[in-house]
Formats: sequence, structure tokens, C-alpha cells
Amino acid sequence: MNFKRFLSLVVVLTLLIAAVGCSKGQGGSATASTSQYSSSNSSQNKVIEITFWHAMGGNLGAALNKMVENFNKTHPNIKVIAQFQGNYDEELNKLRTSQQSKSGPDIVQVYDIGTRFMVDSGWAVPVQKFIDEEKYDISQLEPNLLAYYTVDNKLYSMPFNSSTPILYYNKTAFKEAGLDPNSPPKNFEEVEQYSKKLLKKDASGKVTQYGYSMAIYGWFFEQFMAKQGALYANNGNGRDARATAVVFNDEAGLNIVNWWKKLVDEGVAGNFGRNYDDTLNAFTAGRTAMFIASTASLKQVLDGVGNKFEVGTGFLPALNNNKEGGVIVGGASLWILNTRSEEYQKAAWEFIKYMVSPEQQLFWHQNTGYFPVTKAVYDMPEMKTHLEKYPQFKTAIEQLHSTPINRATQGALIGVFPEARQTVEKAIEKVLQNQATPKEALDEAVKSINKAIENYNQTVSK
Amino acid sequence: MRKNIKALSIYVINTALAGIILFPLIYALMISLMQPSDIFQYPPKFIPKSLYLGNYIEALRSVPILRFVLNSFIVSSVVTVGQIVTASLAAYAFTYYDFKGKNVIFLIFLSTMMIPGEATIIANYLTMRSLNWLDTYQALIVPNLSTALGIFLMRQFFLTIPKDYYEAAAMDGASKFQFFIKVLLPLSRPAIGSLAIYSFLMTWNQYMWPLLVTNRDEMRTVQIGISMLQMAESQSFGLIMAGVVMIIIPSIVAFIVGQKQLIEGLGAGALKG
Amino acid sequence: MYRIESITSKANYKVKRRSVGIFLKNFKAEIEPFLYLLPAASIFIAFTFYPFFKTIYISLFITDPQGGLSKFIGLKNYFDLLTSSDFLNSLYVTFKFVLLTVPFSIVISLVLAIFANLNIRGKSIFRTFYALPISISSASAAVIWTLLFNPSIGFVNYLLGLFGVPPIGWLTDVKWGIVAVSIVTIWLNIGMNFIFLLGGLQNIPKDLYESAQIDGANVFLQHIKITIPMLSPTLFFVTVVDVINAFQQFGVINIMTQGGPVDSTNVIVYSIYRDAFFNFRFGVASAESIILFVILLILTVLQFKTGERKVFYR
Repeated sequence: MNFKRFLSLVVVLTLLIAAVGCSKGQGGSATASTSQYSSSNSSQNKVIEITFWHAMGGNLGAALNKMVENFNKTHPNIKVIAQFQGNYDEELNKLRTSQQSKSGPDIVQVYDIGTRFMVDSGWAVPVQKFIDEEKYDISQLEPNLLAYYTVDNKLYSMPFNSSTPILYYNKTAFKEAGLDPNSPPKNFEEVEQYSKKLLKKDASGKVTQYGYSMAIYGWFFEQFMAKQGALYANNGNGRDARATAVVFNDEAGLNIVNWWKKLVDEGVAGNFGRNYDDTLNAFTAGRTAMFIASTASLKQVLDGVGNKFEVGTGFLPALNNNKEGGVIVGGASLWILNTRSEEYQKAAWEFIKYMVSPEQQLFWHQNTGYFPVTKAVYDMPEMKTHLEKYPQFKTAIEQLHSTPINRATQGALIGVFPEARQTVEKAIEKVLQNQATPKEALDEAVKSINKAIENYNQTVSK
Repeated sequence: MRKNIKALSIYVINTALAGIILFPLIYALMISLMQPSDIFQYPPKFIPKSLYLGNYIEALRSVPILRFVLNSFIVSSVVTVGQIVTASLAAYAFTYYDFKGKNVIFLIFLSTMMIPGEATIIANYLTMRSLNWLDTYQALIVPNLSTALGIFLMRQFFLTIPKDYYEAAAMDGASKFQFFIKVLLPLSRPAIGSLAIYSFLMTWNQYMWPLLVTNRDEMRTVQIGISMLQMAESQSFGLIMAGVVMIIIPSIVAFIVGQKQLIEGLGAGALKG
Repeated sequence: MYRIESITSKANYKVKRRSVGIFLKNFKAEIEPFLYLLPAASIFIAFTFYPFFKTIYISLFITDPQGGLSKFIGLKNYFDLLTSSDFLNSLYVTFKFVLLTVPFSIVISLVLAIFANLNIRGKSIFRTFYALPISISSASAAVIWTLLFNPSIGFVNYLLGLFGVPPIGWLTDVKWGIVAVSIVTIWLNIGMNFIFLLGGLQNIPKDLYESAQIDGANVFLQHIKITIPMLSPTLFFVTVVDVINAFQQFGVINIMTQGGPVDSTNVIVYSIYRDAFFNFRFGVASAESIILFVILLILTVLQFKTGERKVFYR
């Protein structure tokens, strides 16, 4: 009978689809179920499996995986599974989506500007809890880092990969232009002078080498605010009380954008867009003689340039003479999530302690350019020989240690910081493209960010 | 003589056009075979100095590309079979049955083409979560098992098949279902072929949905793999291009195998009306 | 007596059974087409319509940063959007993108189809080449073109430079960002359009051209007079598909420009993605999705009203 056959076909198909799905699904969730099984099993040789999300790609990712591997080898009772989730933005977005179902990882690396959001989310167990329980000694941690990541007198997350922006320059090009290859520009007047000398054009008048360049990256704007000792957000950068507005449309903010625009308009600075790596590539390709980037890119730059020319590094150029200014620590920290039981959180804490131990931080520093989070590293003989061999690594460390700790250099805490950063980038782009004056662009950015802050604060305070 | 010149000029123009269309792909292949020091040069090079396979080795080491290819292959194949089944069943109802609300239902089905995937992605994500399907093949497969375009294509093809076949089969005592399985589907091989290759390529090339529902490397598909590779190795263009070449090859192979079906089915068959 | 009774009851029973049988048969006939529709319909209901209505529901709320519904606000999201300069800009950019991609995709594919349809040896190779972009994903295409447009080592600027064109900031200049993503989208569209148009061309009877030739019409005129009108159903179909695709282009923009520079490529779909998965304002993003749907609906209806009905309904 056709009807019956047809009916059975539909049923069979449905079953088939379900079966295909399920059989594959078992493969997919096998690890999760084994780990659950083993956690309920109270025998001695059980292995706790924890997931660790990170945003370290390329050489950074390779170094990180090596450290995870070593941890797993030396800790037979814990198995850390490291998963790369894209860049910081993507990773945080992914976290937010999966945390709606509490299906996030056990440990997550979140960038500096995600701190306020993470605290508010309620997903994290402050590492302070474990520090207190264990009387873990944090006196060796860099004070600037503690200043950044301490919120409401609690250390919520453990700084792991920390960086500051520095000036990279092409020493060979400096020599060719008759500049002293050992004295990089210290302020923006010098950047402008040097850039004019470094600019090279071909016969047709096309620029082959710009003097200076920086990616349209909101982080740099934040850094130049701090360098001038100015606040980004109100209420002491959101550290005395929850920030209710951003305030960077002042003289300090205008200073930055005006300088930037001036250099681009004069044709001495190249604009390689928002993509951080495009500017970095322009430098390694010899298309710009100076640029600003994170210390974390140092290894990558050195490897990329190879023997083509000599690379020098210098402090972030100053915009004014404010002695209270400095740099904000960037990078990211490790958060323990309350997704699973205390047993998993403890294992996560073990892993974090390992990652910030002097030996691991030395390895991490040497292979990336992130500065060590613990001062104990500087006493190690390997560190001393490393710095002698690659003096460029010293710049970031000296810059950090010469930065006074105050509200400006502590950096702002804002729940919608990722969005704010993007808004600032848009504003700078607008100015460079002559679509708005610096004042208009910054005012508009402040207005739109303040609206987002207001919305955010409303939903959080509930 | 004039005829020859005309033929020659057609060849020249066709070759030039083909060169322009294929240029990005050839370029990707060339870059993937270059040493990093050759890539970062100005003026840029197009032909590699020597064949350098290091990028491929590095790309394979950096992300599990072969696993991504396998995942994409499984997902795309199952989706393809599923789409053929759902589309031909539905198209059969729309062409060989009269029932209340047929046109309305058909329009409702077609309207799914207009609902942007982004509009449903949040809610779909929540569904996957409540089913506990995140990081599984069924999350990648099940939501894609039916498309309006597939139903539309099959329906258009069924309409071109003369009703005489149906009447003849009915005279022989075949039921409607037997006619569908034994007569209509074999006749529809060209349409099925083109739908197959089309849905295979579309699934293979999906981006946003797999990005959202997969977290673990073992479950990722090629498109996510390539953007992961781009994010992870943003400075090594050779390596990224090697990854791109490796994931493009299977889809190009699928295309070349199925192109005849695709061109005949999608182009000639579907729109005869 | 007993017998008779038993016989009548038996007959009664038989009658009853038959009527149930007829009922069942009718029921089966009624339900049969729906069973064929069931698999497709259940997928659509579960993964298109249900989430679609849920999206409408979400669009009436403010959502908290974790994505939960926080407060019912009625149509406020819609009013806010329709008065926000950012969203209006997104609408403008989207229409600009459609106007840049759809006509060029179709014209270029038509030219390719005409050349590939000429009767020469080896034409099938050219057909393969022209249709090839259909097998390339937007992600891979975007990755390749990003390098081609690279500001320092990009090949496009280098080639243009050979012809004396000054370097163009493809991905950094507000004027050019939309052009760059359009070029990639056109390239991606070519494969599919080509296949449809070539199919359409092959259905045009050859003798039409022959008689035109006898009348002395040149090649160009022949195409205007014969090809375009004869191809109109296919052209119409391709336009509808391209317009819908253009409204939903996401991959290329996400990988190449992230909506920049200065929102010049921030099409609605990208803005939805940003608001939902970056700024985590699901309510606003949902409202944007619904507006996008309404626009697509109106456009499609308009296209069907003005265009040829015969493509769908012969």
C-alpha cells in the first residue's frame, strides 16, 4: 500500500537523520562525558579535564601551547585543553554567547578592557578567593598590573600576558637619513621632524617610505591619553566609583587627534587603516620607517624583518611635559569561571599559578615580547643574558617601571569598553578622512559612548 | 580567412576574460608557494623564485586543516542528501496534488528565502543550546536540511515533465508514491544532480552558523578554519594562502565533477518556463 | 429470530466499516500531500519561522549585556532605529551596495555568457572557468582579496601603478571601501549568474539571430533586440536572487572591512551582527532584522509586480 510505504519512508528518514546526528554527536561529546564520569569516580588516579579559551594566534599561540603541554606533563591529575577562539573581540563574544547556556570554558583569557564587564557578569570566581585561602604571595607581581586588575579591592583575574605600546623604528633608515640610530624621537615634535627626513619618494612622486605610521587602533588613543596624564572616563577612570561617562573630548584628546591628522595631512605619516597587522607589515616591508605597536609584537617584528634592516625600540612619544603620565598595561588576564564545581575551579587555579611562575613567564617573555608579570624573573640569570642579547626587549620593561601609578595610568574601567574603543576608532578615521573636525568627531563619539554606558549601567544595576 | 580572424579574436577575448576571472585564484596559489621574504617586497612579486612548500607544512601544523575538511565533507554530504529528499518530496506535493492552501503554502515556503539568516540566528542558537547540540554535527546539519530554492528548483523541473507519464503509470496500476520513486525521480536526475552540487557547495561555504555553534577545533568546518588561520597567522600571508588553497581544492573538484549537471540543471532546466 | 438479528447486525457492522473505510481513505487523500510537505515544513518551522517570531518578540525588549530580556519597551527599538543616523546610514550603504553589485554582476556575467555561448572549439573550458567562482566561499574570496588590496604589498595597486594610477586606499579610504567589497561580491556572483544566463541563452532559438542577420542587424543590435528580451525571465530571476544576496552579504564585509572605514561598508546585516554579537543588544539587533525583512519583502513584491510573473507562474 503506497500510503503505508510512504509513511514508513518518512519515519525511516527522520530516524536516519536523527541517528546520523546522534552517532556523530556521541563522538562530539565523548570527552565531556568521560571527564564527568571520572570526576564522579573517586579513585586516586582520576584526571580533571579543564578547558582554557585563549586568543593567542601565530607565534604567541605556539608558545602558549608549549606551556600548556608542559603543564599537562608535570601535572598528571589535571588535563588542560587549550582552545584558540579568534582574536580578543571574537573570543569575548563567543564567551558571552556560550555563557547564556553556561557552556563556557573553565578558564578564559580576557583582554584588559573586558575587565569591568567580566566583573559585572557574575560568571567569574575572583582569584582573590584562592589567594586568600592559600595565602598565595602576590608581592612579586608587578605593582602596575595589580593596580590595573584590582577592582573593589579584589584581584579578580590573574594578569598573564602584559604589554605596553612602544615605538619601533628602522635603524638602517635612520642612518641613511642622517639621524642618530640610537636616539628615537621622544615627543611628537621630534616624530614630525624625523618623519620629514625619513620620507622617501620615487621619481614619479609616489611615496615609497613613510616616516611614521600607526594603525587606527583605539588602544593607542587610550595610551596617549594616559601619557598626558589625562582621564578617559569620569569618577577617576571608573575606579573611585562606576564610570557614568567618558571625558576624552578635552584638550588631551584633541591633542592626539590633531597631531595624528597633521602628520597624515603633511604626507609624512602613512595611514594603513584599522588593521593592526597591516601597519606592522608595512614596517617589515620597509614602507614606513617608524610605527607604534605593542611590545607583544616584538618577536614577530624581529622575525619578520630578519636581516633586511636593524630594528630599534623606544618609549611611546610624549605629547606634553606632564610628568604624571605614562603607559597603561595592556594585554590580558586569566579568569576562572564558575561554570563548574569547585574541583574544576581549583584545578584552574593550579594552572594559573603555573602560568605566572617565573620559569614560565621567562619562556613567555622570550618567545613573545610580553613583559614578565612577576619581578622574580629579573633575578634569573637567563633573563639577564636574554636582555643583553636583545636590548630591544628592555624598552618595554623600562617604560613600565618609569610609569607612576595613578588614576590616569591605571586605565579606565568601563562595561562597554570594547564598543567605546571601536567608536573612538571610527572618530579618528572620520578626522583623517576629513569627514569631521577633531572636535566634532570626539564630541560625537563621547555622546554615543555615554548613551551605551547609560544603557549598560541600567541593566547591570538591576 | 576572415572567419579565422574572427575565431581567433574570440579566443583572445575569452582567454583574457578567463584570465581576469581566475586571477585571484592563481594569485593565491602563487603566494602560497612563496618564501616569506619574497612576499614582503615592494614591488610585489607574482611568480615564486622557487617552489616552496613550507607554507603548506606550516599551515597544516598550525591548524588541523584535514580535520576541518573531513568535518565539512561529512556535513555537506548529509545536508545534500537531506535537501534532495525534503525538496523532492515537497516539490512533488506542489506539482502532483491539489489541496487547500497549496499556493499559500508554496509562497510561505518561498518566503523563507527572504528571512535573513541573521534574523533567526540568535533564536536558533538558543534552540541548539537547549537541545544540547552545540559542538555536534547535528547542529551543523539539521537546520540546513531544507531550502526554499531547492524546492523551487525541483518544482520547476517536475513541471516540465509531461503529465502523460503520470497517466500512463496510473493506468499500469502504479500508486502515486510508486510513480514518484520509480518514474519521476529517475527522470529528474539532471535536476537532482544540480541541486546536489549546489547544496553541497553552499553548505561547504557556510560561514556564520558554524562560527557560532562550534567551539572546539575537532568540530570546526573549513570556512571557520580559514578565518581562524587568518586571525592566528595574520602576518604570514603565504601560510594563509596555503590554507585557502587547501580548502578551495575540494570545492573546485566537486564543482568540476558536477559542473555539467550544474550548468544544465540550474541554467537550462530550471527556467525553461 | 436470532439468526435474522445476527445477520442484520452483521450487515450493520459491514456498512459501518465501509463508511469508516471511506472516511479513512478521504482522510488519507487529504493528508497525503501534507505528509510529503512534512519534512521540509518541520525544518522551516523549527529553524526559520519559530526563530523568526521569537526575533519579533525579542525586538520589543531591552536586553541585558548577557543577552537576557530585561524590560519590555514596545516599539521603542524601532523608533530609535528609524531616527538614528547610524542606522539610516546603514540603510543608505545597503542600497548603495545593491546598486553597485547587482547591475555589474549581471552585465559582466551576461558578457561572459555571450562569449562562452559562441560556437568555438574548447568553449566548455571557458564555461568551466567562468562558472568557477560559484565554488569559492565568501570567506576564502575575502581572504584572497584582502591581500590583493593590501595597502603596502597589494597587487591591485601595483598593477594600477603600472598604468600611472596613484595608489588607492581600497580598505582604508571611505570612498573606496564600498567599491572594494563590491568588487569581491561581484566576482563571487559571477559564477552563479553565468550559469543561469548561459542556460537562458541556450534556450533562445538560433533562427531568430539568423533572420536578424539577414535583415542586416549587427551583432550588438542583435543582442539588444533579441537576446535581452528573450532572456528577460532569466534576467529577472537573476536580479531577484542577486538583490536578496546583496542584502544578506556578510562574510566578505566581516573579513575585509568590519563595516569600516567610518561605517562606509556597514550594511544592515553587518550592523545586526555588530549589535547582536559585539555590543550585545539583542533587542536592537532583532528590530534591525525585522526591518531588513520588511524591506526585502517590499522589494520582492515590487519586483514581482513590475517584473515578469511568468518566471514563477507560467
